[in-house]
Amino acid sequence: MTTGSSRELPVCTCPLVDSATGAEATVVAIACADRDACRLRVMGVYEGATVSVIDKKHCLLVDVRGTRLALGAELAEGITVLTRGIPAS
Amino acid sequence: MGTPGSAPASGALRVAIIGNPNTGKTTLFNALTGLRQRVGNFAGVTVERVEGGFQMPDGRRITVVDLPGAYSLAATSPDERIALDVLRGHDGREPRPDVVLVVVDATHLGRNLFLASQVCELGLPVVVALNQVDAAAARGITVDVPALIHELGVPIVPTVASRGEGLDPLRRALVAAATLPAPTPRFALDESAETTAARYGWITDVIARTVRQRASASGSASDRIDAIALHRLGGPILFLVVMALVFQAVFSWATPVQDAIESGVLGVGHAIGQLVPEGDLRSLVVDGVFAGVGSVLVFLPQIALLFAFISVLEQSGYMARAAFLMDRLMRRVGLNGKSFIPMLSGYACAVPGIMATRTIEDPKDRLATILVVPLMSCSARLPVYTLLIGAFVPAMPLLPGLDLQGATMLAMYLLGTVAALGVAALFRRTLLRGPVRPMILELPPYRWPSPRSIAIIVWQRSVLFLRRAGTVILALSIVLWALATFPRTPVAPDAPPAVAQETQLANSALGRFGRAIEPAVAPLGYDWKIGVSILASFAAREVFVSTMGTIYGVGDAGESALADALRAERRPDGTAAYTPLIAVSLMVFYVFALMCMSTIAVTVREAGGGRIGWRWAAIQFAYMLALAYGAAWLVLVVGRAMGLG
Repeated sequence: MTTGSSRELPVCTCPLVDSATGAEATVVAIACADRDACRLRVMGVYEGATVSVIDKKHCLLVDVRGTRLALGAELAEGITVLTRGIPAS
Repeated sequence: MGTPGSAPASGALRVAIIGNPNTGKTTLFNALTGLRQRVGNFAGVTVERVEGGFQMPDGRRITVVDLPGAYSLAATSPDERIALDVLRGHDGREPRPDVVLVVVDATHLGRNLFLASQVCELGLPVVVALNQVDAAAARGITVDVPALIHELGVPIVPTVASRGEGLDPLRRALVAAATLPAPTPRFALDESAETTAARYGWITDVIARTVRQRASASGSASDRIDAIALHRLGGPILFLVVMALVFQAVFSWATPVQDAIESGVLGVGHAIGQLVPEGDLRSLVVDGVFAGVGSVLVFLPQIALLFAFISVLEQSGYMARAAFLMDRLMRRVGLNGKSFIPMLSGYACAVPGIMATRTIEDPKDRLATILVVPLMSCSARLPVYTLLIGAFVPAMPLLPGLDLQGATMLAMYLLGTVAALGVAALFRRTLLRGPVRPMILELPPYRWPSPRSIAIIVWQRSVLFLRRAGTVILALSIVLWALATFPRTPVAPDAPPAVAQETQLANSALGRFGRAIEPAVAPLGYDWKIGVSILASFAAREVFVSTMGTIYGVGDAGESALADALRAERRPDGTAAYTPLIAVSLMVFYVFALMCMSTIAVTVREAGGGRIGWRWAAIQFAYMLALAYGAAWLVLVVGRAMGLG
């Protein structure tokens, strides 16, 4: 976990599945099967993209560029994000 | 600068339409060409290749081909592969288009421009239709079109496809674009992490320079609906309520129209019968044609309603939510939620259901889904279920709005659905073993379905059904009538009509053939008449009802008369030939058996074609027949052991 200077909450990296609901997060790494990674990137979840988790159920509901994506939990496990806040886990 | 678009050889300009799913691409295609086709609101409704055309005022012909919805040119699904092959000119049957029309959704430009920018790198002239500008304006989104044209370097025309706005400027832009050079490529056409990030980075900059969005205070209406529709507890309850309403409506709303059709068919059959002289010709018209085709025709309202409801679920965006809800269940059987969409379409018809599997990326997931889609009770089973339930299941009330007849019907649908899940699990653990693929699914914003496009779908499907009634079912009805009528058996002139008919039928070619195959169906408790009807219905399930209609010669008496005839039928020992138990066993047989030539043909094609396709189609046919026979037998044995029937 890396901390940085911030107004109130530390910046940290965590799997997307653990990032706080409603908080914006920046994708820093995608670790999953090549074709899934390729699919994620073209749908807007690429390294450097800003995403935010809307809801966590058996899948993750994510806002990506104004569209709603449902991502399987194991995929969201493999997406590392940089986020401001305390991981939900 | 790229190379100018080559002049079309035939004189007709060829335009290919491409766009992300849910951009209104198919609606725009319909509006441009007037050609009727399905419109969808979830990934990949446009699975068939559809071509249309229009003519410019100067007489110039423009041909338009509607490509499947695609998020990128990465070709990760069969749908995207088709689109890429056509655009690159690699599809042997399809000439390369002269101009590409990219449809982008003005409310989701940040994602839609990804595909648009890739298409700009194919070396073809491009026109962009900026669609749904009305929805964008309603959400406070303003697009600076001249600035966007400058950024992309291609003509852009704002449109509202659902209202037909912007069509003339778009047509002119398409014709003009054919003489323009192709846009200059910006990035390599690959899907590497670096290129994708660079492309999205560029898009972010373009959006910043061309799009203004008024800040909105509250969440969107879609999010508020999703709070209920995707709720852990509320979501599944809402889903069950929606499905129950759909099925109840299909049966109760259709009844008055069915009654009207039945009396209409009776009236026409009777009137025409009077015009034809007494004899074999009148028998052919009344007992052959009207009995056969008429008994199937009455199911048109139910089939039309079922297609209407499935289309509403698709277009409103609810289908994607159902896939999301079902993901948890589908994972247990080794598939993901995406496979649920083709399965749900299978309730209407297995053919579009199997074609909808093209949006599934993983080949094993796709094949497993194809193999089980025909287990979902389709609209062609409705006539069989309705006839048998109407004849043998009392309308005993169970719950408010649900009686025993409705519950029996629901049980048949559930049985097929549960079997589909079980068989999928079996395939994913044996022939199609592999890890469960994680789901990546777009949940499109909720939209009001377009009544016009629902009407088009219902019309198309009704025409298809009527065409089948007018060809396959008509031909089979005439053949079966001939087999049941000849050779003639002399009967005593004073014999009652029922006895005379029975004697004639028993000695006819059909009767003899039926008794020859009777041993095959006897273990299920069926007599030769059911055996013959089952055999005839391997062409199409609804033929079962028309064959029964022909055998019992109820041509001018209608469906309720057929139900009466079935109830009154006696075995030689005087016991009832059809009991409620046999009716249930027969319905269970129809739940599982694959009796549809169209489904077999589409499975062959979609499972890989050629020998591989035939192999999977054979596996599908064989397992479903074995399941049907085994389950029908089990129902009979268990039922009898319980003292039923």
